[in-house]
Amino acid sequence: MSTSSIDDKDITRELWQSRLPICFILSDEDMSKVNRSESPEPLYLMLSRHSYFPCIIEKIFRYYSTYYKGNLNDQTNSINLNNLWLEYESIPLKWHYPIGLLYDLYTSSLSSSSSVSHLPWQIIVHLSKFPENELIRFPDIESIEAHYMTTLKEADALKHKGQIIGDMQKRDHKQLWNSLLQDKYEAFWNINIKLMSYTDNLQYFRYIPFRIYILDKPFMQKLFSPYDIEQNKWMTLYDLLQYTLNHEVQCEKLANEKKILNNNIENYRVIIHGVQPPLHSPIQWLSEYFSYPDNFLHICLIENQMR
Amino acid sequence: MSTVEDDGDTNSIRFGPSNDSEGGSKVVFLLKAAGGAPILKKKKWALPRTKTIGHIVEFLKKYMHLDTQQQQQLFLYVNQAFSPALDTTIGSVNDCFSSEGTLVLHYALTEAWG
Repeated sequence: MSTSSIDDKDITRELWQSRLPICFILSDEDMSKVNRSESPEPLYLMLSRHSYFPCIIEKIFRYYSTYYKGNLNDQTNSINLNNLWLEYESIPLKWHYPIGLLYDLYTSSLSSSSSVSHLPWQIIVHLSKFPENELIRFPDIESIEAHYMTTLKEADALKHKGQIIGDMQKRDHKQLWNSLLQDKYEAFWNINIKLMSYTDNLQYFRYIPFRIYILDKPFMQKLFSPYDIEQNKWMTLYDLLQYTLNHEVQCEKLANEKKILNNNIENYRVIIHGVQPPLHSPIQWLSEYFSYPDNFLHICLIENQMR
Repeated sequence: MSTVEDDGDTNSIRFGPSNDSEGGSKVVFLLKAAGGAPILKKKKWALPRTKTIGHIVEFLKKYMHLDTQQQQQLFLYVNQAFSPALDTTIGSVNDCFSSEGTLVLHYALTEAWG
């Protein structure tokens, strides 16, 4: 795989800087409990695609809680930070998925036409009636950091048998998370570059950390090597997708599932970071330059609508 | 987990389509205690691929009679290194991290490898 050139580095910087304009609107239910004369205006924020919603829910809560002065400690009202949850088109949003992933997966899948712009992304803020069975409560910042770190460890387990992250100092781990929180690209990549190196005399990662998301299905994750030794060739995004879909279909058939996944790649749009990368892209390259800060390639497959 | 069965036959470990003679697709995994957690009598479990880590955690909390009032937590670890997200399927964990046909998960009441 080529050593990093100026152009490749530019791509990681572009990705780091990508933002989504989001419009947070209070739910009708909670709107009715507001005890000020004026109703809350929607809250507009530009958020990093690779960040997580819990990183800013205190900000959201502070904004809306000013409209409930006096009600906050009222037990019957249950308006509190703990009960805050976000919804898009009746779907409660998972707190542990990066913001960009949620946007790509849900706005592309639920639109009737791909040309309709979904920006700003309109999200409903709920301050009550937390859907206990569908969602874990938005945890605190420490929990998000723990989630980020464990995901990073899993990625390194796949790439390097965990050797690189295991050898890192705790302060390096902290630097990764803090730079993500504080939006510091250089500080982040100073450490992250170590996780992009090779071990064991390989010229590539042992396995690629990736997850494939299709609406209404649990994500798919498999072992996939970026290089085929026997055929002496680099595996592409297409190869990874075909392998994953075929394997998944095999599993479904063995389990006698009634509905079998469509494993024809032509049936899907493939989206990472809001763009459709060429399917012949080498997967090793994508893993090094197109992963999220958690070192995973989060890939959305959006089924093409029947026309 | 009403679908859990005690598969005492070590020769019938199944971990995916390539190694499955009976047409089933359950993932067999071993649970090992860590960080001073109580040791389970039953160590070998089997579940359909689509069950999530979260499902296993909730089941174990009840099975081990953990105190929900005190919000006692249970952590599951893979490779004694990381905790998969609760919505990860046991099938994915098995496909990626089983070793020589066996998947081992460590459980703890505190963050043993946080």
